[in-house]
Amino acid sequence: MFVTGKGGVGKTTVAAGLALAAAEAEGEAVYVEFGDGAGARRVLRDRPSGLEHVVLDPSKAVAKAAAPVFGSATLAKLALDNFAMRPLIRAAPAVRELGVLELARQVVAEHPGKRVVFDMPATGHSVAWLKVARQGRELTGRGPIHDLCAKLEAELISPGHASIVVVTLPERLVLWETLTLCETVEQEVGLSVDRLVVNRVPHAPPDNALADAVAMSNIDGPVGEAAQKLTELLSIRDAVRKQVMEALDETVHRYGEEKGGDTGLTLLPYASTDPTARTVAEWLRNAGAA
Amino acid sequence: MKHPVVIVCAGGGGVGKTTASAAFALALAKSGYRALIVSIDPARRLADAMGVELGTQARELSLDSGNGQLFGLMPDPEDALRTFVEFLFAEEPEALARLLDNRLYRALEAAVPGIHEVATISLTWRAITEHEVDAVVIDTAPSRNAVDFITYPKRLAKLLGGRAVGWMAAIGKRTSVVPQEDKMGRVEQLLVRALGPVARDVAGLFSEMARVRKRFILLNEHTSDLLLRPETRYYPVASPTAAARDDVDYLIKKLAKLDIAPRALILNSAFVPERGWVDVLEESGETTPAIDDVLSTLNDERSTRNRAASRITEAFSKRYPILPQLRLPFVESVEPRSIVHTLSQSFDIAALLQR
Repeated sequence: MFVTGKGGVGKTTVAAGLALAAAEAEGEAVYVEFGDGAGARRVLRDRPSGLEHVVLDPSKAVAKAAAPVFGSATLAKLALDNFAMRPLIRAAPAVRELGVLELARQVVAEHPGKRVVFDMPATGHSVAWLKVARQGRELTGRGPIHDLCAKLEAELISPGHASIVVVTLPERLVLWETLTLCETVEQEVGLSVDRLVVNRVPHAPPDNALADAVAMSNIDGPVGEAAQKLTELLSIRDAVRKQVMEALDETVHRYGEEKGGDTGLTLLPYASTDPTARTVAEWLRNAGAA
Repeated sequence: MKHPVVIVCAGGGGVGKTTASAAFALALAKSGYRALIVSIDPARRLADAMGVELGTQARELSLDSGNGQLFGLMPDPEDALRTFVEFLFAEEPEALARLLDNRLYRALEAAVPGIHEVATISLTWRAITEHEVDAVVIDTAPSRNAVDFITYPKRLAKLLGGRAVGWMAAIGKRTSVVPQEDKMGRVEQLLVRALGPVARDVAGLFSEMARVRKRFILLNEHTSDLLLRPETRYYPVASPTAAARDDVDYLIKKLAKLDIAPRALILNSAFVPERGWVDVLEESGETTPAIDDVLSTLNDERSTRNRAASRITEAFSKRYPILPQLRLPFVESVEPRSIVHTLSQSFDIAALLQR
């Protein structure tokens, strides 16, 4: 299960929540993050024994993934660790993404039958990392890189093995970007998005609050002026909320219709402090999303 | 050319980096600079924040007050590479045609991490020269790895300036008809075997790039000059969340490796401004249950937000005692543009640029 989305949407908490819920339901699960392990330290403090935590280092991915391509670690070192290839690897796009995918494939192969939840690195809004296997295979045509890419497609990124969860925010722009991302995943990667998680959906104020505030602002003096301020604030929030709901409706419905309604939609509430993975796991379970 | 003031705003996603960068640029323009705001964020946030369409060509934005000028640049990741390559190959039309036809180039053309940043930076250089800009604000991509692109031009220049190019081009010649493995060294053989038929495209790409190597290296020197001069001013941007705090720590470590010390921290939503009217309403005795409900929610929100904000302020003061913090208010509005205008009032340009 790949959990993706742009940075700052709460991807780590949702990924950890999904992994935690899976570990509790199935006894065992794996939560994989890329980087320094800060994600789990932040949101998964009380990790149950059934949930394994794996940290993958993208900067070492190329070296680790290259061994099977060249036949052995020594040959890989000979081919890659030289004056020409070192700067090429540092500069060439997609090489690192391929390395990261191969490490991901290895984690899945080491945990047969278990659910592995990947908290994918935020790569702007692109899904380039999901496309590199297909691109690499089509580009090379034959040879070890071709074989590596084909293996990644078959074992990691195939519809039978992979599911994709996209985390997004209830903001007009972010929702539109998310729609584009879903369409790209489908058209260019050949995978469909199984679930859209809209994080931090604001609570609506009580129904008659705005009308009451407007009525109060007719009172003369400081109370009326104060009520005027409240009216302004409530109107702003109301307009923002409407914008969001409209965008959510349009994006989610448009995507849902095109897909025949296979994509699950989960709304998670706004919380004024960062929720833990445990809280999110509970929300997801209650929403039927875990 | 006189060097412009270069400001780089970086931080994780969702911290309001684009809004803060736009406010910074607007404040510069209001205090008399010919400012340019550039967004590498592939999202359309900058256009939204400024309330106008922006693209690969810098365009002038209107100011409500002040005597400076403000330009905006937001290259589309889809055209940025094309524009960049056309610029590099302006004097080599035939090589350009071959390059555009190269399978590997065509595969790279679809927004690849790193390329968009380099292309954007080169367009920024052009915009600075064309519009005689004297202050640039660069809004980086929403990722903790956003500053990786700073060394990318250097890595590319090193690659193209080094022996690797001639070596790869030579492989290309030997693989052009039938692979002549007997004429290759062991390493070359390994690579050609690993890459398969694409070795030819890799080599082709290299030999085209080698043609414009000088222009490439020069352009990349400009780019490094823009981003790696000691005068370039880096501002990490955070909001009061643990994720944003971790991203800033990570970012400051990365900057330290490049010998860059940030000038100040920009903290978005660092406080909810005083709302005296809430007290007036609470004490009025005229409220309805719905209003009481809203007022208590507003108070809760304000204290929770302010608590989270002081936690992050304290955490940063402890970790980076000499790093000044610019604390921006939490602003609500329907129009992103009006948020930018409000925030720009918090930027005291003279004081900021003295640090």
